[in-house]
Amino acid sequence: MSIMRVRWGPQHPVSGQWAFWLDVDGDIVVNMEPDIGYTHRGIEKVAENRTYIQNVPVVERTSVFDAGNIVFGYVQAVEELMGIEIPERAKYIRTIVGEMSRIVSHLYGLGLLAIAVGFETMLMWFINDRELFLDLFEMLTGARITYSFFIPGGVLHDLPQGFYDEAMRRLDYFERRLKDYWKMFFLNRTFITRTRGVGVLKREDAIRLGVVGPNLRASGVEADVRKDEPYAAYDQIDFIIPTEKEGDAYARGGVRFHELEQSVSIIRQALKKIPDGKIRVKVPITPTPPKGEAYSRVETARGEIGYYIISDGSNRPYRVKISAPSFRNLLAMPFLSRNVPMADIPTIYLSLDLIPLDVDR
Amino acid sequence: MIKVEEEVVETLKQTFTEYVVEAKVQREKRVTVVVKRERLVEIARFLRDNLQFDHIASVSGVDYPEKNEFMVVYHVWSIPKKVLVALKTSVPRDNPHLSSLISVWEGVNYFERETWEMFGIIFDGHPNLSRFLLPEDWDRGFPFRKDFKLRTKPE
Repeated sequence: MSIMRVRWGPQHPVSGQWAFWLDVDGDIVVNMEPDIGYTHRGIEKVAENRTYIQNVPVVERTSVFDAGNIVFGYVQAVEELMGIEIPERAKYIRTIVGEMSRIVSHLYGLGLLAIAVGFETMLMWFINDRELFLDLFEMLTGARITYSFFIPGGVLHDLPQGFYDEAMRRLDYFERRLKDYWKMFFLNRTFITRTRGVGVLKREDAIRLGVVGPNLRASGVEADVRKDEPYAAYDQIDFIIPTEKEGDAYARGGVRFHELEQSVSIIRQALKKIPDGKIRVKVPITPTPPKGEAYSRVETARGEIGYYIISDGSNRPYRVKISAPSFRNLLAMPFLSRNVPMADIPTIYLSLDLIPLDVDR
Repeated sequence: MIKVEEEVVETLKQTFTEYVVEAKVQREKRVTVVVKRERLVEIARFLRDNLQFDHIASVSGVDYPEKNEFMVVYHVWSIPKKVLVALKTSVPRDNPHLSSLISVWEGVNYFERETWEMFGIIFDGHPNLSRFLLPEDWDRGFPFRKDFKLRTKPE
């Protein structure tokens, strides 16, 4: 049979704002090439033309699904350049926001994975429970998705009155729901059949291709920035890094699910241990860090994000390089899409939790 | 605590004496190495095979028009050692050719392709330097170079 070239996306329901070129032999994909750039905004170039504080909402647009952790890396790099140590209370608030952001992002990602296997009900449930945390974001920051809550020097607001009780109540409810989800979704025969053994990424391939985050941990590598290089308050909190050995789509979903449980536990501990004190140190409105460079790493929901910022001593960065997690995971997509049925392409794509916003920047 | 980092710096200095322009420990878990581009591939392979730097983190181009050169920075993380090395090398702006490191770390593939597209640095040996993020009919040069100015208002 002859090989046919099929273009998948950017209008396809499960493609997102990008396209794949698939070379298919009947129903089997023999080669796949991503065609990205539909949402390229040139954030790195725009960031060179704005001041350090103006850049906070700009870099947040790298991936609005996980706004907390994305900005986290940027402000840490700026703080390193300026030599600022932030107050303990700010570190805890950042940890809480970062973990809530991870939960919100994972619920969205797992919901999309459910869609890939034809389980739309699960998406509705996940999106519904996402509201629990979006409401908490609104209470704390005033916004639900893009809150630009972290600034160099600390955070914008203190925890509002009643936040502790409200958060604990919602976490208790969410933890009960998680138990249902495990039974309903991860023990569901349809889901297991459609994801077990699909898109198997071996340990050495994952490292060789530079895959990060839950995708790397699902292949048996215990690498997480929160443990390897603890930032914020993660060194004072007790948690584990969930890993799986199989490296297939089910394992990647499973790692994300267990991270949800860990995030709940991290938020609880942080809320209990949070010390009193200031929430930020004074930073000038247009900071001018001294000449130098900083590389800051943060574990976002999709994996490690790296910010490489070079300062030339002026009030604008000389260069901002964003090494986004989905861009690094993207290389696994053509690798895993060789000699698989076309019906597995959405499962592989959504189990890697790639989002075009993050890839394009 | 800083011992592992110093060991990396010392080993590199001793092995590639005249090709290492500068090697230093920036801070805990951060090592910066500036090398001459002639031996970039060998040094990269040495980092991977002998010093366990196995996980590519980022490839960035930096434009320095007044020095008439580009800096290319490879950030590589070592999963066993838990150290990040910044491997830097410079290429002349008027003849921006550099050997691709794809034979050492396969993960540089898309990073180098992006750097080629945004800065015009040609990575010799890269299998596919073609349009990636920009539109297919893009003809306005290399957007991340410093002489490319942003339009603040639509014309």
